[in-house]
Amino acid sequence: MNARAVTSDVLLGIAPIALLIAVWQAIASFGYAPATLLPPPGVVLMRLAQQLTNTTFQHEIAATLFRLFAGFSIAVILGVTIGLIAAAIPAINAVVRPIVRVLAPLPKVALYPALLLLLGFGHESKITLVAADALFPILLSTYYGASMVEQKLIWSAMAAGTPRRQILFKVVLPAAVPSILTGCRIGLVISCIVVFLAEMITSTEGLGHLLVTAARTFQAVDMFVPLITISLLGLILNGLLQGLRSYLLRGFPEV
Amino acid sequence: MISGHALISRLAPLLACLGLLGVWQVAALILSTDSFPTALEALRAIPSILGDKESLINILASIRRMAIGFGVAIMVSIPLGLMMGRSRGVASFFNPLLMVTYPVPKAALMPIIMLWLGVGEVAKILVIFLGVSLPVIYHSFQGAKAVEEKMLWSGAAMGLSALQRMTRIVLPAALPEILTGCRTGLVLALITMVTSEMIARQSGAGNILFNSLDMGQYDTVYAMIIIIGAMGIGLDAAFEKLRSRLVRWSEPGFDIPLSFA
Repeated sequence: MNARAVTSDVLLGIAPIALLIAVWQAIASFGYAPATLLPPPGVVLMRLAQQLTNTTFQHEIAATLFRLFAGFSIAVILGVTIGLIAAAIPAINAVVRPIVRVLAPLPKVALYPALLLLLGFGHESKITLVAADALFPILLSTYYGASMVEQKLIWSAMAAGTPRRQILFKVVLPAAVPSILTGCRIGLVISCIVVFLAEMITSTEGLGHLLVTAARTFQAVDMFVPLITISLLGLILNGLLQGLRSYLLRGFPEV
Repeated sequence: MISGHALISRLAPLLACLGLLGVWQVAALILSTDSFPTALEALRAIPSILGDKESLINILASIRRMAIGFGVAIMVSIPLGLMMGRSRGVASFFNPLLMVTYPVPKAALMPIIMLWLGVGEVAKILVIFLGVSLPVIYHSFQGAKAVEEKMLWSGAAMGLSALQRMTRIVLPAALPEILTGCRTGLVLALITMVTSEMIARQSGAGNILFNSLDMGQYDTVYAMIIIIGAMGIGLDAAFEKLRSRLVRWSEPGFDIPLSFA
């Protein structure tokens, strides 16, 4: 793919986004929708820029990010550990597998009321919900990644004198890294979505809470700002994970 | 011997359910607070919910919305995804837009959509539609991209038109991947349904769940959790049956849906 093709791809990709903003602007400026329902994009962007420098708003972002990272980290630690162990030990797999099969398709948001009752309205219930939702994609992709490791690699390591218990860390884990990272990427997007939803349902701080407060007072501009912020956060975090991926997977045949 | 093995693997999820309920029961007995009823108490509350005409209508209305949103989303997303997979122009046109909208929680659009369309059916169905579309588009896209060029060339050589190649070659070849996307979409439809009803608080299963939380009817809260959870597990199992029937020829993929969003 040459440089010109890439540029035209980029231009083509920007087109629908630009079109969307243009239609949005047109609807607003020709008066098809009152500004109270659909504020013009310029106003929303101005408001976003203004809010990003506001310390209260930064505080809300920090609260959301803290919950997101705490939940996501718990999911990564639990998911990778359980996934690896299940792939390595058949007896544990026999127990974990049916439980995961039941819990994975369960809509975790439905558990949120129970979490609220058990853990209260603060950080804990939201972090647990994020962890519960992000856990399964990470766990499953770790499991699949670890169980697809080529047997030849394990035999070679054993032939080279690697002790059995080290094979898990020296062969299986590195070989499963691409798959684990794919799971983490899915888990991260889910974390963004879930933390926002949890904050919308009940919270006293965070981006989701801002949206709900704005909705209750019919401040359309302030409803768009947290939505755009969470979308930007998702893109930035995804970019960071992508960077980590190409760093960790340098030297792998296909990334 | 084989049938015994199959029996065990068929019963395993059921045993897991019983095990989880057992853990719940023990935990509730140990904690013994008002806000955490035992599993038995919650199970006992289920018949009274399903027997109540109004709640039953609410739950059925939720399922109807979900089915419509899911159906429309599939009909739009699969053709779009397939076209993206077969044409680089279409792919680079839609890809960035999809990437930007991916991390936006679809149910969070509910307040804005409610502002435009009101709290009625249309708003909720639209949100479910948006939630289901992305994974289905993405998986159809991946599936169509992986179709072997040679098959398309043979099709073209035998005189199939572009549309016929799409429906006779690309669609069947991408079907396993498409169905994976649909399965993810199905779970997502349920999640979006519950969340949108929690936010709009007018009718539906999510509304019953949160109203009973507000009113402190803890048995109902946990019973609704069981009902919604059972819906998720049941739909997923039914879809998996359908999937393995439709694409019996393909290599067995992951038997648990990998992604959700």
